[in-house]
Amino acid sequence: MELQLNRADYLQVGVTSQKTMKLLPASGRRATQKVVIGDQDGIVTCFGIKKSEAVPVFKTLPGQKISRLELGGALGSVQEKIFVAAGSEVRGFTKRGKQFLSFETNLTESIKAMHISGSDLFLCASYIYNHYCDCKDKNYYLSGDKISDVICLPVEKLESITPILACQDRVLRVLQDSELLYQVEVPGAPSVLTLNDGNGGESGEEILYGTTDGKIGLIHITKNLPVPKWEIFNEKKRGGVLCIDSFDIMGDGVKDLLIGRDDGSVEVYGYDSTNEPVLRYEHVLTESITSIQGGCVGKDGYDEIVLATYSGWVTGLTTEPVYKEAGPGEDLKMSQEMQNKIASLRSELEQLQFKVLKERERYQQSSQSATAVSAVPVFSVNDKFTLNRDDASYSLILEVQMAIDNVLIQSDVPVDLLDVDKNSAIVSFSVCDTEISGNFLLATYRCQANTTWMELKLRSIEGQYGTLQAYITPRIQPKTCQVRQYQIKPLSLHQRTHVIDENRPMNTLSLTGQFSFAEIHSWLVFCLPEVPEKIPVGENITFYFQNTFLDTQLECSYRKGEGVFKSDNISTISILKDVLSKEATKRKINLNISYDIIEESVGHTLKMIHPKLEYQLLLAKKVHLIDALKELQIHEGNTDFLIPEYRSILEDAEKLQEEYKKQPAHLERLYGMITDLFIDKFKFKGTNVKTKVPLLLEILDNYDQNALIKFFDTA
Amino acid sequence: MLVPIFTLKLNHKINPRMVAVGKYDGIHPCLTAATQAGKIFIHNPHTRSQRVSDNRLVQSSQDSDISLLNINQTVSCLTCGVLDPERGYDSLVVGTQTNLLAYDVHNNSDLFYKEIADGANAVVVGKLGNVTSPLALIGGNCALQGFDCEGNDRFWTVTGDNVRSLALFDFDGDGKKELLVGSEDFDIRVFKEDEIVAEMTESETITSLCPMNGSRFGYTLSNGTVGVYDRMVRSWRMKSKNLAMSIHAFDLNSDGVCELVTGWSNGKIDARTDRTGEVIFKDTFSASIAGVVEGDYRMDGKTQLICCSIDGEVRGYLPSSQQATGSLMDTSVEQELVRELSQKKQNLLLELRNYQENSKADSRVQTNEPDGQMGVIPANTQLQTALSVNMGSETQSAHVELSISTSNDTIIRAVQIFAEGIFEGESHVVHPSPQHLSGRICIPICPPKDVPVDMHIKTFVGYKSSVQFHVFELTRQLPRFSMYVQCNTASTPEPQSYVTFTISERVQRVVLWINQNFLLPEETETQSAPFQISFTSLRDGGTLLVTMKSNGEITVRTDDMDLAGEVIQSLAAFLAIEDLQVEANFPKYFEQLRKVLGQVDDSHSVHQKLTADMAEQSNIIRSVLVQAEDSRLMRDIKQMKKRYVDLYDLNRDLINSYKIRCNNHTELLNNLKFVNQAIQRAGRLRVGKPKVQVITACRDAIRSNNVNALFRIMRIGATPS
Repeated sequence: MELQLNRADYLQVGVTSQKTMKLLPASGRRATQKVVIGDQDGIVTCFGIKKSEAVPVFKTLPGQKISRLELGGALGSVQEKIFVAAGSEVRGFTKRGKQFLSFETNLTESIKAMHISGSDLFLCASYIYNHYCDCKDKNYYLSGDKISDVICLPVEKLESITPILACQDRVLRVLQDSELLYQVEVPGAPSVLTLNDGNGGESGEEILYGTTDGKIGLIHITKNLPVPKWEIFNEKKRGGVLCIDSFDIMGDGVKDLLIGRDDGSVEVYGYDSTNEPVLRYEHVLTESITSIQGGCVGKDGYDEIVLATYSGWVTGLTTEPVYKEAGPGEDLKMSQEMQNKIASLRSELEQLQFKVLKERERYQQSSQSATAVSAVPVFSVNDKFTLNRDDASYSLILEVQMAIDNVLIQSDVPVDLLDVDKNSAIVSFSVCDTEISGNFLLATYRCQANTTWMELKLRSIEGQYGTLQAYITPRIQPKTCQVRQYQIKPLSLHQRTHVIDENRPMNTLSLTGQFSFAEIHSWLVFCLPEVPEKIPVGENITFYFQNTFLDTQLECSYRKGEGVFKSDNISTISILKDVLSKEATKRKINLNISYDIIEESVGHTLKMIHPKLEYQLLLAKKVHLIDALKELQIHEGNTDFLIPEYRSILEDAEKLQEEYKKQPAHLERLYGMITDLFIDKFKFKGTNVKTKVPLLLEILDNYDQNALIKFFDTA
Repeated sequence: MLVPIFTLKLNHKINPRMVAVGKYDGIHPCLTAATQAGKIFIHNPHTRSQRVSDNRLVQSSQDSDISLLNINQTVSCLTCGVLDPERGYDSLVVGTQTNLLAYDVHNNSDLFYKEIADGANAVVVGKLGNVTSPLALIGGNCALQGFDCEGNDRFWTVTGDNVRSLALFDFDGDGKKELLVGSEDFDIRVFKEDEIVAEMTESETITSLCPMNGSRFGYTLSNGTVGVYDRMVRSWRMKSKNLAMSIHAFDLNSDGVCELVTGWSNGKIDARTDRTGEVIFKDTFSASIAGVVEGDYRMDGKTQLICCSIDGEVRGYLPSSQQATGSLMDTSVEQELVRELSQKKQNLLLELRNYQENSKADSRVQTNEPDGQMGVIPANTQLQTALSVNMGSETQSAHVELSISTSNDTIIRAVQIFAEGIFEGESHVVHPSPQHLSGRICIPICPPKDVPVDMHIKTFVGYKSSVQFHVFELTRQLPRFSMYVQCNTASTPEPQSYVTFTISERVQRVVLWINQNFLLPEETETQSAPFQISFTSLRDGGTLLVTMKSNGEITVRTDDMDLAGEVIQSLAAFLAIEDLQVEANFPKYFEQLRKVLGQVDDSHSVHQKLTADMAEQSNIIRSVLVQAEDSRLMRDIKQMKKRYVDLYDLNRDLINSYKIRCNNHTELLNNLKFVNQAIQRAGRLRVGKPKVQVITACRDAIRSNNVNALFRIMRIGATPS
């Protein structure tokens, strides 16, 4: 069955955070539900829809930025009490808007995530988890990495409290009281958790998670161990998941999965006969979806998906058909309502315009005064800078409440900007005078009208590190621009992982010296992405990493005065050695560096590269042949005379070309890494082989694995 | 919502911009497009039974509706149109880099096959001005040519650079068509027969042109711009990061006015209104669009819009019926409007909040130091900009310098300049390193062409630690001749070449023109003739000397013929002079031209010789081959080997001489371009009628190979006959 949904915009509030909109349960005779939403101005708005007009129920005064909004109530009763987390405070409102709770927590940071179950309140700041019962502190846990969401398995069903934390280091931490029960590794950094079907499924132990790289999964959390049920990989390269809900929008008696993502796409997954999720519906908005819930808001009898977007729009995707075929009378009425709405909007606009003009004048006048200052408040920018595992490139997502006029990208390290299909902005590159101004990249993205969301992709080179800056100028008076900085770390293509292959030949770099645990940790933060900034608890720590491009690995274990780094890739060790000694010198710390290079690791790395390189070379060769073969095909009229290999190339031509297009410069990057490997291998031996690089490139051009390994051995 | 009424998969690649629909038998429209390997396919789904087969036309074995036409050269342009009014049906006209073929598809015969030295980059068929018969007009290497149905050369003129696009269009509304020419020097020129009546400068190569309603026409540029001109005034334009491949005027919403339909390189097509450029319809193909045409492809009396992608996918769209005058898009207009209005409201509210916060901050910060977080700067901060000429240093060549400075202790974090044609992209950014931040920034600018440019400057002003900066926006105009610096008249050597002409204008007007078009340290106050002013070019150090005598005689001395032309055209436009006859002498340039003309002759004779050689060699090859085969039959292996070795050598020679021929041809093309440009330059020294006369006379002189006459004409202009 195909799902047909129509979009209806209801209301706009301020900028919203993730999970800050809920539908109140329907009450009394009326079947339509009310929407309650909290924005970053600190205002909680509750409204219902009457005759496609938003009718406010209540609105609170502005305050601190609202980071979460949840519904609660006594266990077993209707969950219609509204709880909001703002700053370090939790406030409670009745559905009429009366405040009944104001709970100032003892947290020093502001609340990042919240979950409510009866009289139990679960709160998370960046690294801290706190459990309150009737506003009394009960449990406490310090997480190893940043917490992005918290949830508790339903108490009614399990009769025990099992909180689960979603942490940035790609694990879900299952707690019991203040202790870690066990942790579950998930395929990406989790960004959101919900109970399956809204109640944890039949057992009450099923949870859904979404990750920042767009994956979704279902895990059964039993008392002792996790049982993963299914995972949806992000094959279409959609954005990261921000919100999940379960609701039967298809009307087939089974709850469907509603997903909202940070690139504006909304998806509905149904379940097939084997209980595997299947995509049923997709809709793309122009800004990120911060909250999603299924319900009935707009019109009695028509279910809909209610969305809240970053800029504060509450939008419904409703099953109610648009009246196109309806009788003439009805049609007229509809447009009459619309017309009224438009007219009132227009008059409102006029008044505003008048007001703005006056204010603008006053602002202009202030420029005459010598003492006055011009201060424009900081606009909020929603940004995300992440490494994509699939093509080892970084993606930068910028979102602003207003339309973006242009974005200036400046970088003091060499990076390549890649073209993104979704991005319609016109890019122009400026000449950089690297020696004088230290710029390696200056690019201007001039956005088309009404762009509030944009994505950039860029490729970094390991070993070259520095800062990328984005100057964002929105289209609003008085014109200002905000600068955002993003670190490109020395080992920028590495990603955290939790297991490594112990059997590989590993080179070792050992450091000893007069440095504290905090110092060596800060160096690691400087070198590698995805390392928590907070100093880990305990005396020593071990982190594992994987190179997303070559799949080589890195193990870092360190404590006060000592650090050991192991990798099967010599280049990784070489970069670490350079950066760490530089950092130590900066702080005037004497380091004893020793390394243990294992010859066979080079051959091993080359063998790891071999399949990728061979595949790329073959692909390039095939793609190269396509045009010529097509010409032959036209010339001869058929392809019978070709050898099967060529015929298969022709048949797969489109697929090959697409694949080739998807990974531009892949081959060049592989070449670069092999060259680095070559230079680094001999650097550790104390010889400079830069002069032999052309020879190496020649061998690569006529690639043969054995010849390459031999060259590495003999050169 | 408009959906395609038919979709075809033709299984042939289509070369971009080489698509046309022709009625080759006068009734059935056939889609015709150039494809790979120097072939053209004709899709004719109407007459399945009757088929002809001949030397050129070969039926495709893959698809019975498609016939293939072998050109055996890379096709560079094609079109269809009625070339022979007596036959009354369309002919196919195909241009390559060396030849032009007019072909009668119905009778399967050539109308004519011409060798054209300047190549054909673009072609149109139709009536031009007062020329009675329809012409096939081609644009090539700086030249425009028109042929009638017998292949007679009926029209010839030159233009500034390689022609990339052509269109026939009634520009001045006199009922006769003018020729619109878009070329690689970013100019759109309008030819009323061989007279240029209008010239519009754009910011990139003009890739296509199409006539629209009344006096409007659409254009596209190679940087992704699409726009519409109303005569000489641009109505609108928009730029995308994708390239516009093809444009076509078509009335898609049945309101009686054509919309501009654009096919893009990312596979999108959209229709925009002619007046505002508002999108009323869009659709997406899986591959880049190759062409957008129209035709009654279903033979039901209604014309469809036909869009083709390079993969050979073809879709036909029928205009929406008159009743459904709603939106052609699937979202409701009202919803869109509400969204737009709400967005506006939100913007105004935000602006209002900005002012409120500002006044709040004002009272708060009065006593404190400004802090960087809020983006606070003194309200009376002002920006000063100045344009000056920097003579350069050892490390930097001479350039125009734009200096921007703040009026207080604030610093300039970065400067963005948006301007067309003077930077590599559309913008230029200056972002000093953190150590070098200051309240003053100097930006070197080197405009490559002598055109006035509007620079939209955005300056980010704040403090060193700011995360939010104020953006100051302002616009400065760079004068046309900003790359020429005033110098001492006495000390500069006088260039040999000069142009002289007489005007009946007051001196003050000329001085005003100088002040407006040059970057002078201070405005010249000279009020009376005679006066003299001299400049040095920052590009090559050449001298430009402008002298005006009391009788109104102006002499422009420079060795750069282009510059002289620019000066005259700019001055004439400023003083609104319609016709201007000049006397010019450019001995150096003329000498060069004489050499080039000699080289052209040489190239021709080399070409002939090489062709003869080739014929001879191929004869030898034939005989050697026969001998070798004989030897083989006689089992004289030794002899056979020897013959084949000979053959191998001969073949190598042939390839070598082919390379020589190629080089010779490129050289010839370059030289011809030079000659064409010379004529164009000679024309640009004049204005109005004399300009046309000079170009025509030069052409005649070249045709009759009268080199001396050519130079005389260039020098003193055409003697009115």
